[in-house]
Amino acid sequence: MRIYAPVGAVGPAAISRAVTGPTLAGKRIGILDNSKPNAGLLLQRLAEGLAARTGATVGLVERKNAALPAPDDLLARLAEAEVVLTGSAD
Amino acid sequence: MKYQFTLVLEQERPAGSRLGGVADPLEMLDIASDDPEAVRECYAERGWGDGLPLVAPTPERVDAMLANCNADPDEPVTVLPPRSGVATRRVIAVNAVLAGCRPEHLPVLVAAVRALAHPEINLRGVNATTHPVAPLLVVHGEIAQTAGYNAGLGAFGPGNVANAATGRALRLILLHVAGAIPGAGDASTQGGPAKYTYCVAENLAESPWGGYAASVGVAAASAVTVHCGEAPHNFHDMESKDPAAILDKAASAMTSLGSNNAPVSSGEFFVMLCPEHAAACDGAGWTRDRVASYLHERAQMRVGDLRAAFALRAWAPWQEALDDDATMSVTEHRGNIKIIVVGGPGKHSSVIPSWGMTRSATVPVEV
Repeated sequence: MRIYAPVGAVGPAAISRAVTGPTLAGKRIGILDNSKPNAGLLLQRLAEGLAARTGATVGLVERKNAALPAPDDLLARLAEAEVVLTGSAD
Repeated sequence: MKYQFTLVLEQERPAGSRLGGVADPLEMLDIASDDPEAVRECYAERGWGDGLPLVAPTPERVDAMLANCNADPDEPVTVLPPRSGVATRRVIAVNAVLAGCRPEHLPVLVAAVRALAHPEINLRGVNATTHPVAPLLVVHGEIAQTAGYNAGLGAFGPGNVANAATGRALRLILLHVAGAIPGAGDASTQGGPAKYTYCVAENLAESPWGGYAASVGVAAASAVTVHCGEAPHNFHDMESKDPAAILDKAASAMTSLGSNNAPVSSGEFFVMLCPEHAAACDGAGWTRDRVASYLHERAQMRVGDLRAAFALRAWAPWQEALDDDATMSVTEHRGNIKIIVVGGPGKHSSVIPSWGMTRSATVPVEV
């Protein structure tokens, strides 16, 4: 006998990632701190390490509530950076 | 016993189906038996199911579930995060069958899925958080009676088919369609029993203040509210006729440092009053608004205690400016305190704090 699978289709992705460039030299690294404990510290150190190894610079730092989507004006500011580091859980 | 099953694509669409390029055909599985344990095993191998035996969603059962559905069963109702799963009436019906729903429960379930998609629900956050939040489904109005939902004794369960199966179906939709699978799409540290089933009906017959849905501007004959919250926190008062004495116990339950509402000042509380507590309030001339206002005034916490407890706070700027020795209400506005009558004889009521970064949604049921 046959039964349905319960999951249905997957809709279009809400957003897609930008194409990765060949080098980070001279690029600007932004940080989106989601305000979880030590997220800002962790991301800052990662950005500094990445910048030191690649010749990029650490530029923008923005902060948002972890439980809500980032506001449009914040995303617009972050769009000035070529690379954005984000994501830290509890 | 070993069950045999293989994955095949559905070859034939039901008559009258119009995909219109918006939803892919549902996959179908070949299975040796429609035994509920066989379905559970078949699904579990794919990471599906809630751990309990499942009613086999055969085309015949799903068609019967959809028999009273006047809309296109393959038209998307909404898309649910984080999986971006397309919830059509057919896939909702599949999950309704799995959970043991009857066809008269489907309109409630479709309305609940619509409510989950409201932006203020913040379903991506609700599904992804480490908090044990679960969407509570409250059924209002005519359909609570006609479809057999329990608003009286033991309304939160167990025992009633409509409450149990509809709540379970909503969780299965979150697991399957939304992808809120523990680990991959649900980071809840401990999980929670409310994540199995969490559905109750409003006791309209014993509400002295009329229906909740109408009080928030939804004047439909039947409606549902979805509130993404914790499991109910009980409070009892056997001795008081004075509403203030009863509600002070509710305020005590609301001011726990253990709930997410403590560091999130915009959070909602649902206060589910039993009929006897509601009657005591009404008997003293208290309206639903007065009950909410009183709770807002009494559910105070010392600012310094909150600051000491939570480094991460979602407070309004004026609250951050308060001195440590000041007190403030645990929620910013009295409108964040929602009053609904639920339950039967006895003097137990409950407070249901929210996850915090979510707001409830009340929507009509289309029958």
